[in-house]
Amino acid sequence: MNFEIPNFMLAMPEIFVLGMACFILILDLFLSERSRVVTYLLTQATLVGAFLLSLGLYSSARELTFSDSFVLDPMASVLKLAVYAAVFMVLLYSRRYLRERGMFRGEFFVLGLFGVLGMMVMISAHSLLTIYMGLELLSLSMYAMVAMQRDSRVAAEAAMKYFILGAMASAMLLYGMSMIYGVTGSLELGEVSAAVAGQGSQLILIFGLVFLMVGVAFKLGAVPFHMWVPDVYHGASTAVTLYISTAPKLAAFAMLMRLLVDGLGALQPQWHDILLLLAILSLGIGNVVAIAQTNIKRMLAYSGISHVGFLLLGVLSGSPEGYAAGMFYAIVYVLMGLGGFGMVILMSRAGFEADQLEDYKGLNERSPWFALMMMFLMFSMAGVPPFIGFWAKLSVLQAVVDANMVWLAAVAVLFSVIGAFYYLRLIKLMYFDGPLELSPFRPSPDVALLFSVNALAVLLIGLFPSSLMAICRQAMGL
Amino acid sequence: MNAALLPIIILLPLLGALLPVLAIRLGRTASAWSAAALSGIALGLLLTLVPQVFAGETLLYRLDWLPAYGLNLALRLDGLGVLFALLILGIGLLVILYARYYLSEHDPMGRFYGFLLLFMAAMLGVVLSENLLLMLIFWELTSLSSFLLIGYWKHRADARQGARLALTITGGGGLALLAGILLLGHISGSYELSVVLASTETIQAHPLYPATLVLILLGAFTKSAQFPFHFWLPHAMAAPTPVSAYLHSATMVKAGVFLLARLFPALAGSELWFYLVAGTGMVTLLLGAYHALFKHDLKGLLAYSTISHLGLITLLFGLGTPLGAVAGVFHIINHAIFKASLFMAAGIIDHESGTRDMRKLNGLWRYMPHTATLAMVAAASMAGVPLFNGFLSKEMFFAETLHHSWLGAWHWLLPVGATLAGVFAVAYSIRFIHDVFFNGDPIDLPRTPHEPPRYMKVPVEILVALCLLVGIFPAWTVAPLLASAAASTVNGTVGGALPHYSLAVWHGFNLPLLMSVIAIAGGALIYVLRHQLFALHARLFRPFDAKALFERQLEQIIGYARRLTALLENGSLQRYLMLLVASAVVLVASGLWGSPLSGPLPAGEVDAVTLAGALALALSAITTTLWHRRRLVALIQLSVVGLVVSIAFVRFAAPDLALTQLSVEMVTIILLMLVLYFLPQQSPAESSPLRIGRDLLLAVAAGGSVALLAWGVLTRPYQTIGDYFMANSLSGGGGSNVVNVILVDFRGFDTLGEVTVLGIAAIGIVMMLSGLQLKMPTADAAGRPWARERYPMILAVISRPLLPLALVVAIYLMLRGHNMPGGGFIAGLVTAIALILQYVASGIAWTQQRMHLDYIKLTAAGVLLAALTGLGSWAFGYPYLTSSFGHFTLPLLGEFELATAMLFDLGVFLAVIGSTLLVLANLGKLSVLKHTLKEER
Repeated sequence: MNFEIPNFMLAMPEIFVLGMACFILILDLFLSERSRVVTYLLTQATLVGAFLLSLGLYSSARELTFSDSFVLDPMASVLKLAVYAAVFMVLLYSRRYLRERGMFRGEFFVLGLFGVLGMMVMISAHSLLTIYMGLELLSLSMYAMVAMQRDSRVAAEAAMKYFILGAMASAMLLYGMSMIYGVTGSLELGEVSAAVAGQGSQLILIFGLVFLMVGVAFKLGAVPFHMWVPDVYHGASTAVTLYISTAPKLAAFAMLMRLLVDGLGALQPQWHDILLLLAILSLGIGNVVAIAQTNIKRMLAYSGISHVGFLLLGVLSGSPEGYAAGMFYAIVYVLMGLGGFGMVILMSRAGFEADQLEDYKGLNERSPWFALMMMFLMFSMAGVPPFIGFWAKLSVLQAVVDANMVWLAAVAVLFSVIGAFYYLRLIKLMYFDGPLELSPFRPSPDVALLFSVNALAVLLIGLFPSSLMAICRQAMGL
Repeated sequence: MNAALLPIIILLPLLGALLPVLAIRLGRTASAWSAAALSGIALGLLLTLVPQVFAGETLLYRLDWLPAYGLNLALRLDGLGVLFALLILGIGLLVILYARYYLSEHDPMGRFYGFLLLFMAAMLGVVLSENLLLMLIFWELTSLSSFLLIGYWKHRADARQGARLALTITGGGGLALLAGILLLGHISGSYELSVVLASTETIQAHPLYPATLVLILLGAFTKSAQFPFHFWLPHAMAAPTPVSAYLHSATMVKAGVFLLARLFPALAGSELWFYLVAGTGMVTLLLGAYHALFKHDLKGLLAYSTISHLGLITLLFGLGTPLGAVAGVFHIINHAIFKASLFMAAGIIDHESGTRDMRKLNGLWRYMPHTATLAMVAAASMAGVPLFNGFLSKEMFFAETLHHSWLGAWHWLLPVGATLAGVFAVAYSIRFIHDVFFNGDPIDLPRTPHEPPRYMKVPVEILVALCLLVGIFPAWTVAPLLASAAASTVNGTVGGALPHYSLAVWHGFNLPLLMSVIAIAGGALIYVLRHQLFALHARLFRPFDAKALFERQLEQIIGYARRLTALLENGSLQRYLMLLVASAVVLVASGLWGSPLSGPLPAGEVDAVTLAGALALALSAITTTLWHRRRLVALIQLSVVGLVVSIAFVRFAAPDLALTQLSVEMVTIILLMLVLYFLPQQSPAESSPLRIGRDLLLAVAAGGSVALLAWGVLTRPYQTIGDYFMANSLSGGGGSNVVNVILVDFRGFDTLGEVTVLGIAAIGIVMMLSGLQLKMPTADAAGRPWARERYPMILAVISRPLLPLALVVAIYLMLRGHNMPGGGFIAGLVTAIALILQYVASGIAWTQQRMHLDYIKLTAAGVLLAALTGLGSWAFGYPYLTSSFGHFTLPLLGEFELATAMLFDLGVFLAVIGSTLLVLANLGKLSVLKHTLKEER
């Protein structure tokens, strides 16, 4: 069977990351414990290289290759750039953390790179099969990363749960894909879209859609497919949590867009209803349950669930404005999530994980600067102006109102009010309560600098959000 | 040019907020000076713009910020803006001076001024915004900065709680306001005030008007402490008094009524507006005035009085009449002036005597006559005594309650309510004066009171002077300001016409005057009777603490959240799986809703064999589940499931799949047997009957849904891709067995990948098993030792001739595979099974002595062969893995085809044997080795 020579150039970043990941995997075998930093540096260099490649390939055109199963469009470029940047920061944050816990091993970085590759494939996928491949590459890397702390019982348990639930969700996703393939006779999203538009909403397609949604919702961590999120975020070491909770959300958003908008756009009325259900449940459960948490990683996990609810609101409005708002929200969420878990890394040190809320008591007395930075992040997550989180919420709400779903906007605002409560509680702990330990707070300088930059970015981009917003709108063809 | 000053006025305190923090290193006075200088410059800049505004201009300043979302950095200065900006900056300056002497040495003063300037900037932003979204941003900033100010004395628990309460209520209201503003922008098509204020009719006729109004009012009422959100204000009194004087007289709480004034042209006038706004205002007015009388805390009295006066202003705007709005604006000015001076006076008293309890503070006249005079003037103004400014706006208020057109026959309710509130206002004002300054001697004061430092009184003096000046000469002092502010409130622009109103002190004998007289007389009477009233109040009303209620509700919410968490996230994987599956079933069921399940295709005939097969499958699946605790039995049942599935493939004319399934089934069962060796024979019973019932239901639901789905799919016409392969298999791949041609030709690349993965997986498993030592039981659960005879003779004897036989079959299967059922994969599995049989029957040691096969090399050879076959086609200039074929004749077998795909298939064959045996033999070794070791010992 013959096939055309594909345009490899479009997939150059993927090929580069794959090549480097394999190279680093082999090289790491020959490195001693002392020179392990080479692995780290090469990994970071790979991300920078991929960033430059993707930047160079950026164009406003939409190009397909590999028999139309791979697409490079502005959305893909922007999301990939965000993924590199996010993972770069994750590794930067984690370096010291991993060292202090004896986890500074090649596997972490290689798995991280393979995960990045999986995300890139998901983002640029233009066929059901490519999406699935990317998803599995990412998921398998993450299962292994969670399980890396072999001696930790919570980590092992979390990895086990993650794997079993993830396998179930993947199976359902695949089941849904097979139904869609059965009806449309194609895996390629363009053909699927044309076939679906021709056939209208028939029963099997709807079933296929439902199972697809289960898979996507699981990946995003939307209620009621969110059960893994708190346990995994909590059980995994903070460095891994940082990884799992941030960049993969961008890939999941891309998957949502590819499947629903590019592939099943004609079924918008149907997936609108499902998304609505997922969004409201996520907003409700995420915000309410977060209140009861005493572990900050779990609290941030539920906060993340509620953010996903908001993100879904943007997509379900079904307009390019809404998609742009959703994408903006996803990127902003990643930035805030990095700061949130980065804060936990900043506070932790060897033998102390800083994952209890009470560990943050009286931080203002020990270090006013970091208390202030954390306050920025919490306000941003709560959606208080002028921080970036406000713009994210605003753009989504605007899209929802423009889609004539005023009641939905009101519901979202109501849950945001509830949500503000637990962010404020952390601020209260930091500012008004007495510290549990009186020693001055001395974080490592690199993490401290990174965290400060991260938190200030939340403020500065909040003051000048128009360029990021313009990028997102451009990516959606606005 | 002039309008360009507007952003500077806001930026001065905003960016300057750091200055006092830095200047504190130069001393406390320097810090205060820097703060005062910044607000002074801002005030000066503002004053240069005032003449233009009074002349009827509205200054606009616009800078694109986020045009995509309708957000511009648009600022506006009109009469209302000037009024508020003057109050914010003017009273701000006085508070800065006052605080310099009020704060003690231990208080971090730099931070105080920093927060204060931040708050000032936020307030200026609110009143100067042209864009509603921009205003909202500043609105939230006022909540945040006031949070910091109220919680300034963070060592005090009540300050912290008060700050949190205030932030929760006002912050929440802010989000409601956000929703309201989004709706307002949606309705009117713009967030610019100029547009919004000009589209009154569109807005009020819109079906979303009620929702918009309610949301916006929620924002305004929470901020202005209107009933039922009023309870945060008294608790915010834990703040230092300069903060109270600033936030709770002139600024923060006025933001809510400012919003009412700002949006008055767009929203007011409807019936809904009247009932919501005037109703809330009336209730708040009465409630606040009543409670103020019964507070023993000086600041508590002032707090409730503030609530009451804010209710009064709200009520005035609620009437929806132009005159009402004029009176409302006027009372905003007057209240700000007298309440700020009263708070400052209360602060002085607290500061110099050490307490704010009016049951202890008595007869202070003797100790601080100067302060007492000032406080008395301000209190008289609060009571609405003639010749003081409070009287003027109160008269206008009384007059307005008489001249409204609402409520029909019940229209008298408003004036009666207003008079009643007036009575209480007079009573608590008298109490403020008489209790504190006269009424005998002080009781147990912590400090001996005396006059405060000179400069602490200056701000109070200025404010009290204003009370008098406005009260006596209104036309010469406040008139232009009021006119321009009222005009912009009523019309949305400065230029429009205003109804006639008079600022004269004396209007002759009329009904409003009578109401004032009643209020003063009644108030005096109530004050005289206060002790009896206090007792009655204490008997009638249990002390109702809204804050405690709020806290309790928070506790309750946390409790609910905990219970919800316990329900959803108990850490049990089974629970999660249950939720996952149940949610999927619900979603599928909802997909079924409303559309017919069956498609157009008729259901096929069911013959007896198929039915029997289906029953066997179902039965064995059920028994597997039922007996899952007895592992060996469950495994046997599971193999039955596999067998029936293989037969099903035969039934549906897929012999290839059947063969593959059969051999894979065997390998899998052997694998499971090897693992079973290390596990107990029975697993413990873990589930309660209830749980089993639940899981049964869930399983039935999930299985049922899948069955329905299958039914739905099978009764619909579908296109099969089989036709393509059927048509091209022989011509393109040189074989008539489509399955095999797909494997080795059409999808040869995939197969190559799969084989490689198989090899890698096998090597991975071997690596993981190396060095692993597993203890194995010497007896079963019942204590019976294993059979002495490890390798039964009969099995060993039978197995030996089976090997060559199996090899022949394998070669046969492979060679004919291209045209008939068979192929490298199946052949490989058959060979592997035959080899495994040798291991099982005669032991690893015996087999390895006689057979020197390195399975790793075998696997590698297979993969390499497959890959090289593909490369071969390059040599002939074809793409990778292009196949060619020719026909040959062999004795016995007859004519057959030899395609290059056959070489590829050989590679597959070798790789499958190698990797299967790698895994199985190594797993088997784990136990056997140990056992033989034991026997040797």
